[in-house]
Amino acid sequence: MFRKKNTAGVNSNEIRAILDEKKAKMKLSLKACAHCSLCAESCFLFMGHNKDPKYMPSYKFLNSVGVLYKKKGNVDKLDLGEMRDLVWERCVLCTRCYCPIGIDIPDMLALARRICRSQGVYPQYDRE
Amino acid sequence: MALSHIFSWTFMYDFIRGPMVWISFIIFFCGVVFQVLRFMSLLKEQPVKKFEPGPGNIIHSQTVSHLKGDRVKTRWFKKGPDKKDWMVWLKLSIAGVNPFMTIVTTIFHVLLIGVPVFVLGHNILLDNAFGISMVSLPENVSDFLTGVVIFCTLIFLFRRLFLERVKMITSYEDYLFLSLAAAPFVTGYLAYHQVFSNYKLLISLHILSGELLLMAVPFTKFIHMIYMIIVRFNVAGEYSFGNARKNW
Amino acid sequence: MIKAKIKPVQEILDAIDGYEKILNVGCGGCVSVCLVGGQKEVNALNAELKVHLEKAGIQKQIDGYTVERQCNESFLQELDNKVLEYDCMVSMACGAGVQHMAKRFSKIPVHPVVNTVSIGVDKDLGMYEENCRACGHCVLGYTGGICPVTRCAKGLFNGPCGGTNGDNCEISNEIPCAWLDIYKRLKDQNRLDDILKVRPHMEWQNQSPRTIIQEPYEKRYIA
Repeated sequence: MFRKKNTAGVNSNEIRAILDEKKAKMKLSLKACAHCSLCAESCFLFMGHNKDPKYMPSYKFLNSVGVLYKKKGNVDKLDLGEMRDLVWERCVLCTRCYCPIGIDIPDMLALARRICRSQGVYPQYDRE
Repeated sequence: MALSHIFSWTFMYDFIRGPMVWISFIIFFCGVVFQVLRFMSLLKEQPVKKFEPGPGNIIHSQTVSHLKGDRVKTRWFKKGPDKKDWMVWLKLSIAGVNPFMTIVTTIFHVLLIGVPVFVLGHNILLDNAFGISMVSLPENVSDFLTGVVIFCTLIFLFRRLFLERVKMITSYEDYLFLSLAAAPFVTGYLAYHQVFSNYKLLISLHILSGELLLMAVPFTKFIHMIYMIIVRFNVAGEYSFGNARKNW
Repeated sequence: MIKAKIKPVQEILDAIDGYEKILNVGCGGCVSVCLVGGQKEVNALNAELKVHLEKAGIQKQIDGYTVERQCNESFLQELDNKVLEYDCMVSMACGAGVQHMAKRFSKIPVHPVVNTVSIGVDKDLGMYEENCRACGHCVLGYTGGICPVTRCAKGLFNGPCGGTNGDNCEISNEIPCAWLDIYKRLKDQNRLDDILKVRPHMEWQNQSPRTIIQEPYEKRYIA
């Protein structure tokens, strides 16, 4: 849990700057999420992977943008690598996820993708 | 016994029953208004571009097929009100996908607001204070409904503890807020039935937990009670009602 | 997904000729998947252009940035402030993305860097085959899943022309006759009657830009 962080190659200030651009919406979404998991059935990947809870939109949202916000951008390459798998392999940004409270989940995941891209972390389609 | 000393201390008791009620309601209303304004300021009206068919603007439609005497059949959501259509629509909505949770949540939320507003004890207090009151439920009915609310919170707790998909995204705050929501009902039930000998203690806890709940609404995830309605009628999306035209 | 192929480097160099500050915008959608316009390719193209420019002794500032998708306005918002510092943009997205960008940032020239070829399938890593021409009148069910518009050289909609050259099209020995393949497939499935069904022709509706409004939303947009 207390893994030594190797923050080389990750610019936390840049991450914080990108988070600040959408600060109001992001903080509101994180706070309003009731952790109810009613968004799960609206994600076709969740339904297609045997209802594996790791594909739930709320899980993806809380473990990408939520983690970045809580750690105030102090993540290392390993964290970003895990986030890459979460945000690119478990989501195609089809924008059909439904939140009963009205949180714009695709926008939050797009923000996480944007932050990963800014640190040079992106999907490698030629290395499957 | 030390605890009851603190609570039978006149000041504490009078404070919770008196000024604190006002403070919590003021914080509740002002907080909710503030959060709603903050939310609405994030939304922007997007003009809907009406489509005018004309030169260069063609709506693609398939040429009519001449096969099998294809009569033009309208889609199920274009027909008029019909029993079968409502059934299909219902099945496709969250009620069809997760009927158990839909029913439990609906009952819980209706009673969450309904029971405190219509219970006899509260209405007597209102009558004493302002001379007005709502219609009151008979006491055995409100008693039963309180039991229902507590049962619903137990279902939520069960779900949070044992369902993998909810446990994964649960944090300590969820347990805290669930107990906060249940506390007024539990303490009210216990106080009414005079389960413990110290009635004053329980009723003070009941009032205090109610006040804490009200004060917590604008600043925690409880604000979903207001946001859900605003979002449905304002933000444009697949599931919006009415003339939803705004966008983040 | 949409498949595209990168333009020759000389064409790109001609396009950016005369501009000092260029922004190369990639797209995380279809062109990323077909390995021609994603973040990695943006960086690679920038490096290649710099090498060519240095050899010619020209100094330019070429920066790269990748957005999620260029075909959706909400993903272009993050570029709004960035483009102010550049005098030219090159886009690695498909034609639709380039047009969308050019519309949103209409004061700056936007040059495409890839040629959009087709809607196709992934045959193997790096190899893509065109399968669909987006005619808007799909009859694949009745032709055994083989598209007569794409695969037939004449685009015949309702049957072969009779000019087959053995198994191949009379145009070339390298193009198999699509209708022969359709016949074989329908025969395997015992559905040869479907070949005899005549479908109304397309009437070449795909000559003007077509707009699609999904039926549940018609009331919202049609006045």
